[in-house]
Amino acid sequence: MSVPALEVRGLVKHYPGVKALDGVDLVVRPNEVLGLAGENGAGKSTLLKALVGLVAPDAGEIFVRGEPVRLRSVVEAANHGIGMVFQEQSLVPNLTAAENIVLGSEGSAVRRGVYRWDTMRRLAQEQLDKIGSDIDPLARTDSLSFAERQMVEIAKVLRIEERSQHPPVIILDEPTSVLESKEIETLFAQIRRLREFASVVFVSHRLDEVLDVCDRVTVLRGGQSVGEVATAGAVPGELHKLMIGSTGSDDHYHSGAASLVAAEQPRLSVRKLSGRSFQEVDLDVAAGEIVGIVGVHGSGREDVCRALFGAEPTTAGEIRMDGKKIDLPHTRAACAAGIGYVPAERKIEGMVGAMSVADNMTLTKQKARCTGPFVAPKKQATLVDRWIERLSIRTPGRDTAIGRLSGGNQQKVVLARWLVGGDIKLLLLDHPTRGLDIGARSEVYRLMRELAGSGVATVLLADSLEEAIGMADRILVMSDGRVVAEVACPNGGKPSPLDLVKEMV
Amino acid sequence: MTLTSAVATAPRRQSRRGASFRDAGPPVALVVIFGIFAALSPQFRSVDNVQNIVDAAAVLAVVTSGITFVLMMGSIDLSAAGVMGASALTVSLLVANNRNDNDYGLLGIGAAVLLGCAFGCLSGLALVLLKVPSFMATLGVSAIGLGVATLMFAGVQPNITDTMLESWAIERFLGFSYLAWIAAACILVGWLIQRYTRLGRYAFAIGGAEEVLTLSGVRVKPYKVAVFTLAGAFYGLGGVMVTSQLGAGLVQAGDGYDFSAITAAVVGGTLLTGGRGGILHSAVGVLLVMVLTNGLVQVGVSPYWQGGVEGLIVVAAVAAAVIPQRRRNQVVK
Amino acid sequence: MKSSATIISLSLMAAVLAGCTEEAGGDNAAAESGSCESADVRLVGQVRNESNPYEASWLAGGDAFAQSVGLKQERLTYDGDSTKQQEQISQILAGDTKCLVMNVLPNGDSDTAPIVKGADSAGAYLVTQWNKPADLKPADHKTWLSHITYNGVESGQQIGDALATAIGGSGGIIALQGVLDTAAAKDRFAGLEASLAKNTGVKLLDQQAANFSRAEALTVTKTLLTKHGDNVKGIWAANDDMALGALEALQQAGKAGKVAVVGIDAVPDAVGAVQKGDMTATVSSDGTWQGGIGLAIGYCVATGKLKAADIAADNRAFFAKQFLVTKDNAAGFATPKTNPADFECANVFNRVAGPLT
Repeated sequence: MSVPALEVRGLVKHYPGVKALDGVDLVVRPNEVLGLAGENGAGKSTLLKALVGLVAPDAGEIFVRGEPVRLRSVVEAANHGIGMVFQEQSLVPNLTAAENIVLGSEGSAVRRGVYRWDTMRRLAQEQLDKIGSDIDPLARTDSLSFAERQMVEIAKVLRIEERSQHPPVIILDEPTSVLESKEIETLFAQIRRLREFASVVFVSHRLDEVLDVCDRVTVLRGGQSVGEVATAGAVPGELHKLMIGSTGSDDHYHSGAASLVAAEQPRLSVRKLSGRSFQEVDLDVAAGEIVGIVGVHGSGREDVCRALFGAEPTTAGEIRMDGKKIDLPHTRAACAAGIGYVPAERKIEGMVGAMSVADNMTLTKQKARCTGPFVAPKKQATLVDRWIERLSIRTPGRDTAIGRLSGGNQQKVVLARWLVGGDIKLLLLDHPTRGLDIGARSEVYRLMRELAGSGVATVLLADSLEEAIGMADRILVMSDGRVVAEVACPNGGKPSPLDLVKEMV
Repeated sequence: MTLTSAVATAPRRQSRRGASFRDAGPPVALVVIFGIFAALSPQFRSVDNVQNIVDAAAVLAVVTSGITFVLMMGSIDLSAAGVMGASALTVSLLVANNRNDNDYGLLGIGAAVLLGCAFGCLSGLALVLLKVPSFMATLGVSAIGLGVATLMFAGVQPNITDTMLESWAIERFLGFSYLAWIAAACILVGWLIQRYTRLGRYAFAIGGAEEVLTLSGVRVKPYKVAVFTLAGAFYGLGGVMVTSQLGAGLVQAGDGYDFSAITAAVVGGTLLTGGRGGILHSAVGVLLVMVLTNGLVQVGVSPYWQGGVEGLIVVAAVAAAVIPQRRRNQVVK
Repeated sequence: MKSSATIISLSLMAAVLAGCTEEAGGDNAAAESGSCESADVRLVGQVRNESNPYEASWLAGGDAFAQSVGLKQERLTYDGDSTKQQEQISQILAGDTKCLVMNVLPNGDSDTAPIVKGADSAGAYLVTQWNKPADLKPADHKTWLSHITYNGVESGQQIGDALATAIGGSGGIIALQGVLDTAAAKDRFAGLEASLAKNTGVKLLDQQAANFSRAEALTVTKTLLTKHGDNVKGIWAANDDMALGALEALQQAGKAGKVAVVGIDAVPDAVGAVQKGDMTATVSSDGTWQGGIGLAIGYCVATGKLKAADIAADNRAFFAKQFLVTKDNAAGFATPKTNPADFECANVFNRVAGPLT
């Protein structure tokens, strides 16, 4: 067997109170795609950071092509041929794609501080050619789609090939979490292409993806490597078992808890709603019902969801809650009518990262924590602690800054914000499980079922078709800003993803 | 994921290079405001007055060019007033003047610009080494500049007698004063720096996503210092130009230029949050502001009303300029 | 609970008593006016900054007086910052105030009251200049000896008349105003209006605010010159800085010498311009005299050569004499200097032009 492109032996990293890495071993062979799986908190991100020099391990060794190395910065890692495509994209939005690709290693493209745009474009084009991308190198990065930006990022990482003069090791951290399915397919094609001349470490919380694209999977749990699975013939359940230490619940979506929807007057009733990117949308949601909206990127479903909350201007149509018209859609009016919105961009729109769990939870329903105009600390504490317990939010305490919690727990706090007032009637969930691992997802699903059971109506923009099918009682399909189909989705009579895709295009 | 192949994204390509229509606001506002004044006042549209506007814009254009780089980086610079004062006194005492026997001509001008660089460098160092926010660091440097200027002033105003420096404000080439040409050259140089040098591009990038630069192995600090130094050079030259205009070195040479320059830059579309806009945007902003002040006088708006009217139009112009960018519940700070 | 209340009331009483004593001390100091040895007198001159010729000459005048009596003037500048001025005053008053003499330029009308109050309770001798609210009168105070100011209406009119004469009694003029909401700007412009009412041949073509600034005056004048062209025969500026800016504008427009320019303040450059004939006239308040006279009045009272009670009511707040500077007399103002005779205790009120009404 050849010398591994990258090998990790017994890596240890302590954080105050936590042992993030507890003697991890990892082997990446030349020209293979290695999957890295593990629940949130298993140590994946710490390991990756150690591999690109962002985290200094307390103990253990890293070998590159058999040589022990110390990686103290991203640049050193790059010089050894290790590069990472970050989960949070790391491109400068207002520079051109070409500049981003060569950033930090401009070489002959900048002479004595002066740019030579032709050379720069050529250098960037060389990298883009490696992955067969047709992106214009001189396009501004923020004018590119998310998927295109990811390609630029891969091209940028590939530049370390010239730097290290060796086949590179490319780490992809959750690259698929915000991609549409078509884009994911393109990405996988790229990964297979990369394998021709590089090694790839692929991290995803979607086990089916991991099995699809990887040659081999290493599973982490509790900061240790707990197993290795060759993907040929493997099934997700096997991986999942390794990840959580036992077989996962088959009923991921808690369908058993699905409530029976009484056919009465709808809680939410939308008629002929039109806006910038959607036209004449009709939508009814009954109390206790979960309605999924699916559609490809650009179908307008996100905008409809935001419009229901008054966060997107509308040009025509009406929105009624319990028969009462909400005029002049505005976020305040929506809140007052008992509508809650969990935005997709959790970190930007969903929470105030530096504020405490308690403050985030009571952000909207100030009344719940106040006596008169003043915040009543005791009242707030009791209330917040009750919800922390009810939703089993794992946090050191109510005063911890929300930014320090894991994604799943952050999302629970965001959800709790709408629940503390006790007057929630309709929840708009925009990709509520984005970026969460299986365990956290499952808890969010359970919570959704519980809320539906208590009579809350839900509109769900699911992260995947499977999720929509699994959770929704009814699914609306949107295309080009119009509702093109409505598919009943009762327990026991669930449609297949293909049924929906037929309507989407 | 099994449903991949079926879904296709619509082919939707738009022009992604160069200026897009969201940058078109300020130039359109400039043309509209110019048109309105031209229709209202025959004097306003006279060749003399257009020359007058351009001449009057010269100093502000140079100062704004400097401040633009700092703003692009997402920092702020309030040092212009002090740096210009120090530079004005320096140059007026080094070229032929009524206070001493110096007559260093161009060398004196160079020294004043270098002094500006030094002050800018000081702001930058305070920012990156002492971690003083740029707002406070530059305010402090401005105070130092005024202090130095006051020391040099020593109770007697130096009047310049240097014919070359005096000629800048008086002599004309193709209808415009030398000062206007110097300003044009500064804008050109600024544009070249912004477009073709690592310094300019990194200033832009720092405003866009500083942490990404760090992740890419770029050492950001030297570039920050360099940007402040560059801005200082522009302020220094601005101080020299004011001295040429007024024929004397005034401690107050830079009075009000700090905020006018920021206003002009913002009106032109350079955001205070950094990463957007640029020299050409700022040049348009400067012209907009100058056309406005000149036009209000030309059409005979009472001086008691001008301040308010000018403020209103500036806010309206900025609002109009950002309409194409306004989306959803975007937060504005 | 009860005991703490007692303590509080006791300490309150103590504070009141202490306040009384202090006030009594102040009264004593005033009553004792005249007991100070010349060498014990402390002279303080406070202006906004040293970076303009006018205030620089003010401080120079204070130095000249101090030197004439063998003392040194403490120079204070507060950068036009009201808070800073008050801090400086309270610092000075926190020291030995028995023979303290202050010649102060308050930043604005509202800044005068706290300064007066502080000086009063400390028993320091105070002369203020230019700014005070109308209802605050030195005559009501023991150690606030005098307030000196200048009649802006008069100076505005003087140069307006001089300008009218210079352009031959008829033709168009433009006016450059100061900061519009200041008393100086309002009074001076009122003077111009009075002058215009008298000189009916002179027409005010346009008036713009240039905020007392040379640079702004330059831009505004250039704009007005393109607007009104050759109709502009004269430029009236509410201060010399703006007049000098207007001169630059004329030069840049190739109209130097063809348009008459007048200003106020008699800053050295303006006096020079008058001497050369570039400018028609300016008005001098004699900054060096202002800097010396405030200290002189206080010094005379402190050393007993003058009794506060003997100062005539009209001299406690007065308009001082100002001088129209024209080509004929400009040479005398070119190098500002003090005349020791002005500061003799018998002469300190020689320049009273009229009571402040």
